[in-house]
Amino acid sequence: MPMFPGRLPAGFVITRFAMEVATALVTAGIGAVVALGSLEYGTGWDDAGPQAGYFPFYIGLFIVLASLGTLTQAVLHQRGRQRGSREVFLNAEQAGRVLAFGLPMVAFVVATVLLGLYVATALYLFGVMVVQGKYRAWQAAAVGGGTAVFFFVLFEIWFQVPILKGPLEAWLGLH
Amino acid sequence: MDNVANLMHGFSIALTAYHVGLMMAGVMLGILVGVLPGLGAPNGVSLLLPLTFTMDPVSAIILLTSMYWGALFGGSTTSILFNIPGEPSSVATTFDGYPMAKNGRAAHALTLAFLSAATGALFGVLVITLLSGWVAKFALKFSSPEFFAVYLLTFASFIGMGHSSPFKTVVSMMLGFAFAAIGMDTISGSLRLTFDMIELVKGISFLVAVIGLFGLGELLLTMEEGLRFDGIRARISPREVFQTVRELPRYWLTLLRSGLIGCWMGITPGGPTAASFMSYGIAKRFARRKDGYGKGEPAGVVAPETADHAAGTSAILPMLALGIPGSATAAVMMGGLMIWGMTPGPMLFIERPDFVWGLIASMYLGNVVAVVLVLATVPLFAAILRIPFSIIGPVIVVVCFIGAYTVDGSVFDMGLVLAFGLAGYVFKKLDYPIAPLVLAMVLGDKAEDAFRQSMIMSKGTLGIFWSNPLVGTIMTLALLLLLWPLASALVQRLGGAGSASSSVQAG
Repeated sequence: MPMFPGRLPAGFVITRFAMEVATALVTAGIGAVVALGSLEYGTGWDDAGPQAGYFPFYIGLFIVLASLGTLTQAVLHQRGRQRGSREVFLNAEQAGRVLAFGLPMVAFVVATVLLGLYVATALYLFGVMVVQGKYRAWQAAAVGGGTAVFFFVLFEIWFQVPILKGPLEAWLGLH
Repeated sequence: MDNVANLMHGFSIALTAYHVGLMMAGVMLGILVGVLPGLGAPNGVSLLLPLTFTMDPVSAIILLTSMYWGALFGGSTTSILFNIPGEPSSVATTFDGYPMAKNGRAAHALTLAFLSAATGALFGVLVITLLSGWVAKFALKFSSPEFFAVYLLTFASFIGMGHSSPFKTVVSMMLGFAFAAIGMDTISGSLRLTFDMIELVKGISFLVAVIGLFGLGELLLTMEEGLRFDGIRARISPREVFQTVRELPRYWLTLLRSGLIGCWMGITPGGPTAASFMSYGIAKRFARRKDGYGKGEPAGVVAPETADHAAGTSAILPMLALGIPGSATAAVMMGGLMIWGMTPGPMLFIERPDFVWGLIASMYLGNVVAVVLVLATVPLFAAILRIPFSIIGPVIVVVCFIGAYTVDGSVFDMGLVLAFGLAGYVFKKLDYPIAPLVLAMVLGDKAEDAFRQSMIMSKGTLGIFWSNPLVGTIMTLALLLLLWPLASALVQRLGGAGSASSSVQAG
């Protein structure tokens, strides 16, 4: 079921070590942003106890320190391993499956913003069923459209919770 | 006894046609999210929560807790029939449940699992009934320093008793605190960490985080592993149920032990997942015939199921009595309580006794409803899993995004869910624990307020946290737990074992 045959070379591998390091760096970055962002609100103490930035500042600092701890652990663990052996985080086949699932999902979110959630749902189901599920177009259209209508009735009519709508609903006067 | 009278009053609230109807609806939805991969108890409850904002709180909590029971049962169904745990807490059930099903005893394994789960849940509710009034009365003596100490104890126990690297637990937990701090500061009223983005003024909802981390993260993981359902067909006959009921007393020791482990892990924030693994491990260690385990030993199904449900149920106790949830799902429900305008904690027992005892009574009834429904609907839900994944996968994705949108009607939240989904996937693969993040997001503001109010009371000296024996004891215990990983690493090194880096692999 890989959707991107040949796009990823067969030897493609993300090692666990690389991922550990990358994640630790990202979390350390978030920590730094939080700590720096808190400086604006005062990180000291005044008459009313700690100022607004006190808590977030130290939280940011803790994130940075703990991320560095994770980084150190990852490096020590890597050194302790035998030369040449490596732990795999993601191989080509797995990456293909994740992308085949993840990319249409991202496309769905973009479509939702442009076309509203119901239309995007119908298109998303249709697309995935035809391309990945190898269904016939009319089957996919029926399932996609049916699901969108089902959700519309469930949320707009039964629960009366308005969901993001787009040009089609406006044209049909369904606001 | 006070509690019994209160409980009877609770039953009069819970036993209305409307509420029993809600229980059935909740249980069915719960089994559905429990069965579907990617949807589990925490995000199932998150998805349903925005729809309950307009409901009466008692009805809303009955619906949500019933969904929780249903999800716990649903997770066991897929573990046994498909060898795919629908919930992290039912992983241990696959060890012996699936082999039993493969040996042609699927119906027996399912009935045994459901009935021991119900026993475990009963254990948990009994503990709640007996202890909650007492714990709440005790907690009424608490003021800000005590509350901060209890919060600290909760978070420290994650670091001290967690299975992952303590650094990763700290990162995950502190990220939760940081996300909770975004937006309005409740004490000074100023905006924090919004970086001039209008979308961040209202803060980041924990519901959005849960839907992304648990929902999409889990789905990505399932997809990566290449999903294949080789289900075993099963239909449960009434005769099978009666036979299993007769057989159950044989496992009384396993049931009792697992129930106790479950209650303990549920009340302390160990959670159902840790409880089920621990219970399985202990059952195996003390078993007379160890070699049957892993090949379809019935006690290997009884032990994790009982502990799982006992923990899931008793996790409600600290949430109600102290305002501290014992599991990720309880954290989401507690967030719901706050959205409905209630303050979880000891005052709830005085201000809203109808809510508290209505909920406790509904837990007895809800679990009975859940057992009956789950026994009756095994073929139906097994059939749902035979729908090809190219249909069911996108539908789950759509449900997650609709859920995120209904939280606040914000498009920005849909982008956030995507980001949290990716983070959840990477965190799970690298053994970062996710429950502390959710707990910190729900408790973050409360913990900070408690700390700052204590500081206002004491004019800025930390001595207030040791100003009386109660707060001093809790605080010292919390610090000990916090330093536990450090101490044990030190002891290991001195003892010559000397492999501090081995904890990277743990989890």
